[in-house]
Order: sequence, then C-alpha cells, then structure tokens
Amino acid sequence: MKIKLTRTGGFIPITKAAETDVNISNQELANLLVTLKHDTAAPRIKDGNYYELTVGSNSTLVDLEKVPDEYKDLFSKLKSELKIIKHGEF
Amino acid sequence: MEVYDCRQKTDFINAALLWDTKTNQKLTSVAGKNVIRGGKASWDFYWQLFGRNSIDNKGMLIRQYVHFDKGMDNAYWDGRRMVYGDGDGTVFTSFTSDIDVIGHELTHGVTENEANLDYENQAGALNESFSDIFGIMIKQRFNNQDVKKSNWLIGEKVMIGPKYALRSLKAPGTAYINHPELGSDPQPATMDKYQNLPDTESGDFGGVHINSGIPNFAFYVAAFNMGGYAWEKAGRIWYAVLTDAGLAQDANFTAVKNLTIVHAEKIFGINSPEVKAVKQGWSEAKV
Repeated sequence: MKIKLTRTGGFIPITKAAETDVNISNQELANLLVTLKHDTAAPRIKDGNYYELTVGSNSTLVDLEKVPDEYKDLFSKLKSELKIIKHGEF
Repeated sequence: MEVYDCRQKTDFINAALLWDTKTNQKLTSVAGKNVIRGGKASWDFYWQLFGRNSIDNKGMLIRQYVHFDKGMDNAYWDGRRMVYGDGDGTVFTSFTSDIDVIGHELTHGVTENEANLDYENQAGALNESFSDIFGIMIKQRFNNQDVKKSNWLIGEKVMIGPKYALRSLKAPGTAYINHPELGSDPQPATMDKYQNLPDTESGDFGGVHINSGIPNFAFYVAAFNMGGYAWEKAGRIWYAVLTDAGLAQDANFTAVKNLTIVHAEKIFGINSPEVKAVKQGWSEAKV
C-alpha cells in the first residue's frame, strides 16, 4: 500500500510531497489516520506548515506531533524525502 | 527576550535556553545571534517610534526558538513564540538570516494583540501584509535605508542565490522568477489579478501569502511617493490603522484603504501630499 505525505503552507506557500510503500494493514492505517487527525478548531499558526496524509483516495490533515513511537521512523523518513512541487504542478 | 535552541527537534519543552536579556550569555550560534539582533531591532522599532511596549504593548517576553526541526525551511509565529528552521541548505538557508523575516514574525504577534485579523481570504492577506510592511521597515531602519535606497525585498539572504528573495513589495510577483525548484513568485500586485483560492490549508487559506502582494504594493507606492524614511510617514499611518479599534477582524482591502486615508488625513491634513500618496498607492494597486 502506498502512502503519501504532503506538506503545504509556510512563509512562502510551498507544496512538498513524498510517498512510500508500507506494509501496514488497512485497519492499522485507518486507526493511524484517526490518531493523527489534526484539530481543525485549533488556532491557525501564522506562516505554519500543514501536513496531509493520503492513503488510497483518502486524504486527512494530520498532526505529526501525534505520531506513535512505532511509526516515528516511517514519518521521519517521509519528512526527509519531501520534495518541492512547483507552482502550477499540483 | 529569551532565545532557545531546539537542537533540530520539534518539541519546545526540551529546548535549551541559549540566551536571555538578564544574563546576556556569549553566543557562538549564528542563528542565535541573528534572532537577538532582529528581535532587538523589532523591539526598538515599536518602542522608539510608537511607544509600544513589546508584542502585546504590556511588556510581553519575546521568546524565539532556533534550529527547529531538521532542515525546516520556514519560520512562524504560533501565538506564543517565534520559531525558525535552518533551511534545507539547497533552496533556503536559515530563516534567521534576514531581519525582515524576524520583524515579520514578531508583527504577527502585534496584529494578534490588536485587530487580530482573521487568517483567511482578504483579512488574512492583510495580516500577512502588515507583517511584510513592518518587517521591511524594521530592516530599512536597522540599515538606515530610505525609500529609494531600499530594494524592498524580503528574505533575500534566506533564499539561496543572488537573484532570489521571498517577496518583493516594490514588484510583487518578481521575487523569484523561473527558480529551478520553485518556479516563479505567484504574488499579484493589483486587484484585477486577485487569486480566488480555497480557504483550506492547501489553498493557503484563500491565498493569504499570495494576495498580500496587493496591499504590499499599495504601501510601497504610498511610501515611495512620500519619500524619506518609510517609517516616518507611511509607517505612522499604517501603524495607526493596525492599532485602530475600528479595524474589524474580517476587514477587507477596501476597509484598510479607507482607514489609511482617514489616518493620513488626521495625521498630515486633508489636502496633504501624504493623503495624496496614500490614495495613489491604493489606486495603483487597483483597490
């Protein structure tokens, strides 16, 4: 199963993305998305970055500070592999 | 002021205190030195020109966190603190490198304590614009640059390469052109080029960092036509607007245009050249 991490926002709004194959069951991924769900009621951070996790056709805004220990390496790798997508290419 | 080192991690609790005003420790960290210099320049700007006592006008302690995350190519204000990344080393260097970026982030705190402009659509673009306008003036004052000497670029050291900067107030949309990684600066300078983007995270909350080019350009034209140092005339007008209790949280460009005219008339007189310059600025931005 492929998962894709997309980062948006920032001082100049840049979109970055990285994807990888994972050996995680659909149920585990569904649970993970619930765990990581970003609190949209939280005040907006000025110039902040936001992360979206895409699993199949399902995209969810996520809070990477909530990543459970067993997935920290996976998200650390994804973050390190984020590549800029030029304006107009997304 | 306090400066903390996040040591490339993303938590604030374990960040190490690098420097504070009371003990004034000696520093080797360049990022630390940069934010002390930028923080002082920003504090001095607001205090010496407007008698403003820090971010909240009540002496709020300025907290700055450097080396946040691994290679984070960003700086932000989270409601309590200013946070800076080291940059990815390819497109961006440390976000502490330019005083205007530091002034920009601190001004988000000022705005939050004044009109608290909504961070979406036109109000959000105005929120960004106030940060850019005060950020550039803080840098101009630090460097003793008048409106003609300044190049009106924000983040020219942050962005790697001599042809690039993060934003241009003089010519929005030209801060970077055909950049190999980023493409071209998407900011419009005039209202007829306003971009209607979705009010979502991926839509930059309606293009707050995009459409801010329009009020930025209005300020540049007004300040340039007034001449001298931007903070002496145009800066006074825009600060009066930013701190005006009548500035609504959901203000749009027209509301701020009207308020800048009202305050220019109050400060400099109804038929003054300054009022004419303000009107000319908004007219050239097609607002």
